[in-house]
Amino acid sequence: SDKMSDKQSAQKSAKIASGAVVCVESEIRGDVTIGARTVVHPKARIIAEAGPIVIGEGNLIEEQALIINSYPENITPDSEGVEAKTMTIGINNVFEVGCMSQALKIGDNNVIESKADLGRNMILTSGCIIGACCQVNTCEVIPENTVIFGSGCQRRVQTERPQPQTLHPGPKNVPLWHSE
Amino acid sequence: MASLLQPDRVLYLVHGEKKIRSPLSTLYFCRYCSELRSLECVSHEVDSHYCPSCLENMPSAEAKLKKNRCANCFDCPCCMHTLSTRATNIPAPLPDDPSKTAMKKAYYLACGFCRWTSRDVGMADKSVASGGWQEPDNPHTQRINKLIEYYQQLAQREKLERDRKKLARRRPYMPLAFSQHTIHVVEKYGLGTRLQRQRPGAPITSLAGLSLKEGEDQKEINIEPAQALDEVEPLPEDCYTRPINLPEVTSLRQRLLQPDFQPAGASQLHPKHKHLLIKRSLRCRKCEHNLSKPEFNPTSIKFKIQLVAVSYIPEVRIMSIPNLRFQKECQVLLTLTNPVENITHVTLVGCEEGDPEDINSTAKVMVPTKELVLAGKDAAAEYDELAEPQDFQDDPDVVAFRKSNKIGFFIKVVPQREEDGDVTVSFKIRHDFRNLAAPIRPSEEGDAPAEAIWLTHHVELSLGPIIA
Repeated sequence: SDKMSDKQSAQKSAKIASGAVVCVESEIRGDVTIGARTVVHPKARIIAEAGPIVIGEGNLIEEQALIINSYPENITPDSEGVEAKTMTIGINNVFEVGCMSQALKIGDNNVIESKADLGRNMILTSGCIIGACCQVNTCEVIPENTVIFGSGCQRRVQTERPQPQTLHPGPKNVPLWHSE
Repeated sequence: MASLLQPDRVLYLVHGEKKIRSPLSTLYFCRYCSELRSLECVSHEVDSHYCPSCLENMPSAEAKLKKNRCANCFDCPCCMHTLSTRATNIPAPLPDDPSKTAMKKAYYLACGFCRWTSRDVGMADKSVASGGWQEPDNPHTQRINKLIEYYQQLAQREKLERDRKKLARRRPYMPLAFSQHTIHVVEKYGLGTRLQRQRPGAPITSLAGLSLKEGEDQKEINIEPAQALDEVEPLPEDCYTRPINLPEVTSLRQRLLQPDFQPAGASQLHPKHKHLLIKRSLRCRKCEHNLSKPEFNPTSIKFKIQLVAVSYIPEVRIMSIPNLRFQKECQVLLTLTNPVENITHVTLVGCEEGDPEDINSTAKVMVPTKELVLAGKDAAAEYDELAEPQDFQDDPDVVAFRKSNKIGFFIKVVPQREEDGDVTVSFKIRHDFRNLAAPIRPSEEGDAPAEAIWLTHHVELSLGPIIA
């Protein structure tokens, strides 16, 4: 029972559910849907260029994070036969400071640590942790509970899932979009 | 431009057992021998042991007992990061009333880098924050300890015999009872530290120590020889057909960091105690004076004794290089910095033909012929605005600029080789040095200034490639 409300601002097609906290210094471009209880910090950027982005509930998108649905490198915006793919992000994910995600499908309870870089053809399932500064650009489905860490992007499977984030209510004293 | 300041572009030659060329920042200066020393011509001694994560000092005897490992800190077996202790609340039945449950704190180890936890290998949570974690016992420990004891005794016996023979032969001459070879034999099996620190001038006392030990330790240690087996455990039947569970296989590095277990599966990777680090002191091999002695406290980075070369020897640095052309004269700007507080006079001399130290230069160099004068380093100079600048009458063709204790000067370089690779030039720098170490003979004239001696160093500069 999310009450979607359209915002009367320059970003015409962003739909933000009630209970979400989106700071005015964040940049949201294109057709973006943000679920309830998701927090978007200032200087975060969510850019839906080549298709819409749907973000689920309870996510945390920290400063300078970049979630971008962009055209693949060898395709220009005008070429024919390019269909708009929707980028889906599940619930309770954490996008830490400075990370960049182009992955088209992200499940639930994942953590993308600071300055990590996800390619477009990756699919994260659930409970995955992409370590800080890890650049992963493979064409694969990352199995559940995988941890990618280290300068060589080593992998291991964790048996303990970190407790679901008690998302902090968001930065204080920062102008926010009203979502009611 | 910052690449010109890289330390390995200017190398100083050290005359030791090996001729070593290295940047001044890595060298030491023995002011008793008045010579440069590199890390390879000094003896390194262990000063103290400390743990890098809890910064706790540990006396050497205790360190040896604990095999150089910290008692409190653990390393992640997966990524070798330091493990931190985390607490959770778990419901546990109250001791008085088993039907009610209360929240109790349980502690487990977790790695912040790879998210490994002690629960991954089945280690139960402990109720105390520290001290509850044990490393698993190795079934072979007893046998190994017995073998070590036996071999230590054997080595000691061999050493005694060898030294007795040596002493008998050398009695007419100065007795030099301990050769380098016997010391290594002892060190091989880790016998007591008493025998390891030998100075070449003290043979008699050490012999006395040995005879005492001989009296004590007469009990024979017998070991059973290892038995060879005919049959070996066969491989499992599905060895070739079972699919590999890749996350479960340990990497070579993870396996070999635990040499006593070498687990093949990640579920047997137990955390190990953290390795201790050492603080070391350096000693000149010729005069036995300390060149570097750190402070005892692990949290302090200062030194009690710090005879580094950059505080005594003027340092040459490259400031700017024009485009270098084959067989064309180019002018390179260098700087000379004076680290001491008195005025220093520096003369530069080019290397002669056939100089045995000049092996790397690929260009001819013309250095200034006049003596360069460097002002003393004055720590208060930047605050003292009324100080008059000293007038040194610099030749503008030679000295480009002068700034407190630093001058910039020109050298002319003519590259001689057209091939790829850096243009290298070398020259000798001769400067006066006032030795402030305590004089051996007390001076009679009261406060006579220390005498100056002249030191010469061979310097090599790497100027970069030729630009066609």
